[in-house]
Amino acid sequence: MNPRLARLLVRLYPRVWRERYGAEFEAMLQTGRGGLRTSANVAWSALHERVVPSPGFKTEPSQFRSWCVRAPWAMFGLVPLLLLAASYFVACFILWSGWKIFLPGNDTPFVPIDGFAIFYFQVGRLIYFSAPIVIGWAIGLIAWRLRLKAVWPAVGWVLIALAGGTAKVHASRPVVPGGAGHVRMVFGLGPFGNGIPDGLFHALVILALTALPYLVWQLQKARSVSAA
Amino acid sequence: MRSTRHVVEPQNGSALGHFSDPPLFVLASLASGPKHGHAMIEDIASICGVRLGPGTLYGAIARLEQQGWIEPLPPEERRQPYRITADGLRVLRAKLATLQQFTRAGLGRLEAR
Repeated sequence: MNPRLARLLVRLYPRVWRERYGAEFEAMLQTGRGGLRTSANVAWSALHERVVPSPGFKTEPSQFRSWCVRAPWAMFGLVPLLLLAASYFVACFILWSGWKIFLPGNDTPFVPIDGFAIFYFQVGRLIYFSAPIVIGWAIGLIAWRLRLKAVWPAVGWVLIALAGGTAKVHASRPVVPGGAGHVRMVFGLGPFGNGIPDGLFHALVILALTALPYLVWQLQKARSVSAA
Repeated sequence: MRSTRHVVEPQNGSALGHFSDPPLFVLASLASGPKHGHAMIEDIASICGVRLGPGTLYGAIARLEQQGWIEPLPPEERRQPYRITADGLRVLRAKLATLQQFTRAGLGRLEAR
């Protein structure tokens, strides 16, 4: 294997693991055959070592962990909301700039488009729709990784679900001829559908999707404990 | 024990898959004498047809060493050989005996059909 690639792959492992096995493992990788499978195997094993460290290789509590314990309201409430706001800002900026670039004469960006504009707007749409789910999954992963109780992660999921479910994008152009269009976000429960407000329905869907991986991990953990 | 899923299968691997327990493979390989990483991979491939990826191998080595079932020997150039300990031999015997019992029972049931 290429020595540079071998060194890079070894660096994926946690520091404490590298201090013990790094040199010999790197030497082994350098003298062995490379290839995508080998690289993928090492990368996956390194990730596994980070998530589930071998006995005796557990790292000291990190700064991140101590923040999660000292200020869970910030780490699971405020930070996810700020991340969601940043994602929505990027999505709205893409919509606004795409409107200016590809549809300068239109009163709204929500019209049929073709060519590169489709890809451009889809990026914004992807960010808009996936942001609450990805942030929710990140909350679950951190809670699971740090073995935290589900209370604060649950608060984070509810906040993210409410923000994501009730958010709507509005685009309007002022009546002034040649005036620039405005893209803004509003939050509201919206009209009734399925017996409950649409916004609440969307929030419940987001909540279920974001909490699902964490619940599966907890279920697996409970099963492995009862089996042992 | 470590997950046994991350195994680089040989090109002509059986469609039925292989029994795969990397720590057990490492112990079984070291039962015939000390070996370094590459030698273990080749030895395991020859005895059970499974080629462990280097990450999987070192995951198993790290766990076995922490449990005191294998130990490192002085390095040979850049290679690091390992040998099985007395505890490791005892564990390997116990595991293989269980497997043997399981195999006998399973084959007996198949023959009875």
